[in-house]
Amino acid sequence: MTDPLALDPVLPPRERSELRARAWNEDLPHDERYEHFEAHVRGGGKIEPHDWMPDEYRTAVLRFVEMHANSELMGVLPEREWIMRAPTLRRKLALTSKVQDEVGHAQLLYRVAEDLGKPREAMFDDLLAGKTKFHNVFHYPTRTWADIGVIAWLVDAAAIVAQQALRDSSYGPYARTMQKICWEESVHIMHGRDVVVTLANGTTTQREMLQEALDRWWGPLMQMHGPRSDRSKDRDLHWRIKAKTSEELRQEFLTIYVPRILELGLTLPDPELAFDKEAGEWRYADPDWNELRTVVTNHGPKSHERLEFRRLNREATAWVRAAILAEPRAAA
Amino acid sequence: MTVVRFAPSTSTALAELLLSMADDEFVIGFSDSEWTGIAPILEEDVAMSSIAQDELGHAKALYELLASVHNDGRDADALAYDREPEAYRHARLLDHRRGDWALAIARRFLYDTADAARLASIGDGWPPLGELIAKIRREERYHVMHALAWADRLARAGGEARERFVAALEALAPDAPTVLATPEGEAALLEAGILTRPMSAAFEGWRTEVAGILVPLGITLRLEAPADAAAARTGHSDDFRWLWGEFTSVRRSDPGATW
Repeated sequence: MTDPLALDPVLPPRERSELRARAWNEDLPHDERYEHFEAHVRGGGKIEPHDWMPDEYRTAVLRFVEMHANSELMGVLPEREWIMRAPTLRRKLALTSKVQDEVGHAQLLYRVAEDLGKPREAMFDDLLAGKTKFHNVFHYPTRTWADIGVIAWLVDAAAIVAQQALRDSSYGPYARTMQKICWEESVHIMHGRDVVVTLANGTTTQREMLQEALDRWWGPLMQMHGPRSDRSKDRDLHWRIKAKTSEELRQEFLTIYVPRILELGLTLPDPELAFDKEAGEWRYADPDWNELRTVVTNHGPKSHERLEFRRLNREATAWVRAAILAEPRAAA
Repeated sequence: MTVVRFAPSTSTALAELLLSMADDEFVIGFSDSEWTGIAPILEEDVAMSSIAQDELGHAKALYELLASVHNDGRDADALAYDREPEAYRHARLLDHRRGDWALAIARRFLYDTADAARLASIGDGWPPLGELIAKIRREERYHVMHALAWADRLARAGGEARERFVAALEALAPDAPTVLATPEGEAALLEAGILTRPMSAAFEGWRTEVAGILVPLGITLRLEAPADAAAARTGHSDDFRWLWGEFTSVRRSDPGATW
């Protein structure tokens, strides 16, 4: 049977010929096929859904994309609460649109994951049962309007640092999805920055609200990319599912955003935070990794409430899904 | 700045019409945006959120026109937010809380079809409004298609979906006609060509259209002409007071601040 990808007019000819070489190895022994796969991926090649891939790779991509999708879906909840309270028409439109984007990202990512063999409903089941995870930052409460600015600016900025590196992921559908997601996230950052700058230039109450939100979010932000890890032992890096280590991402985030935060006259709640010119990297107080572990295992301040909210809501809308999946009947 | 050159009584009637339309779009935009992030399926979540944004965009444009009629320094945000709950002029149909998906679809179906009938009654008597309405109608066309697709699907699904949908329609039916209540100063609006037909005619057309859609689905709905035009848009519910408390909370926390 002809692989439909070989006929795909969208792929450049060189990539098409590479696809042929690796998809058509079906008669080779496993180890040899594995070697071809390794060489292809390590050499910068892309894997497409119909290509042969080792189960470990499929599982690793699925795990990675599923957690990303879960995070987009759960990330909707903290901000969604403020759509109703947005203080101007423009802010309400922007926030609704931003949250809508996150839902759209969840949809795109769940589709990528579905093609790897796990049905969407099974992913929702696992998320609600606590078998799969979502990002630490979405386990925290949003207390004031300033949180909306800080999340859209800095949480999204920390995310985009990681996501930009994923545009070159070895898994083709994920890499392409990230192109769109990154573009939209960069608009979110502009929206967030605008909210933050407005508050920073506002009344004393607004400035205090902003500083308080930043103080509260800084810990989770520093934990967000995870503890330092050994590059050589990270299989996601080896297979180029992702491109950078946690520490590389954190350093990148600090380099871009610390000056921008300070420029607004805000302070950061870490007295050790400073750029070490000799070492060429940021020094900072060790983030609270216990807090991170506690939070991502669904013991964060809002973990239970948000999962329960999703569960109740899923239950309350089950009849709609049943109705639209059913065969239409003739009118009564 | 749009210059308004109407007799004072016409200007007052125009302002009331703009306010009622803007408040309708503003409030239904809030109800719909409550579904953002929690709609029954992700694809629908994105759709409903787009509709909410359209409605808020329409509300914003209508408040801006209203600001130009008042010409007293209040901008669209001040008009939208800085009022007591009693001063809102949205139709009673929109006074109900978000409810379940059946209520959301029933409300959208009744509102979208009624709003289309209202929009079709607005002429070029005041060109800024005529031009805006032409744009709004292009977008509302898709809202009607969306509402009709869902109404059809829920009604034909039978079982729980149909029961919920019919119950929601019946719960909203007494208030649905309020969207097309006769506005204050209608004679002046007709005279100025701002309206091209009385709202009572729009109501009759809408009632026939709704029956044409629902009767083939085996649903009959009693839709009676709103008796008291003034009451159609005042005396709001506790649900709306709650909503008002939410949407003004940040703004009231630091009055006069820029957000």
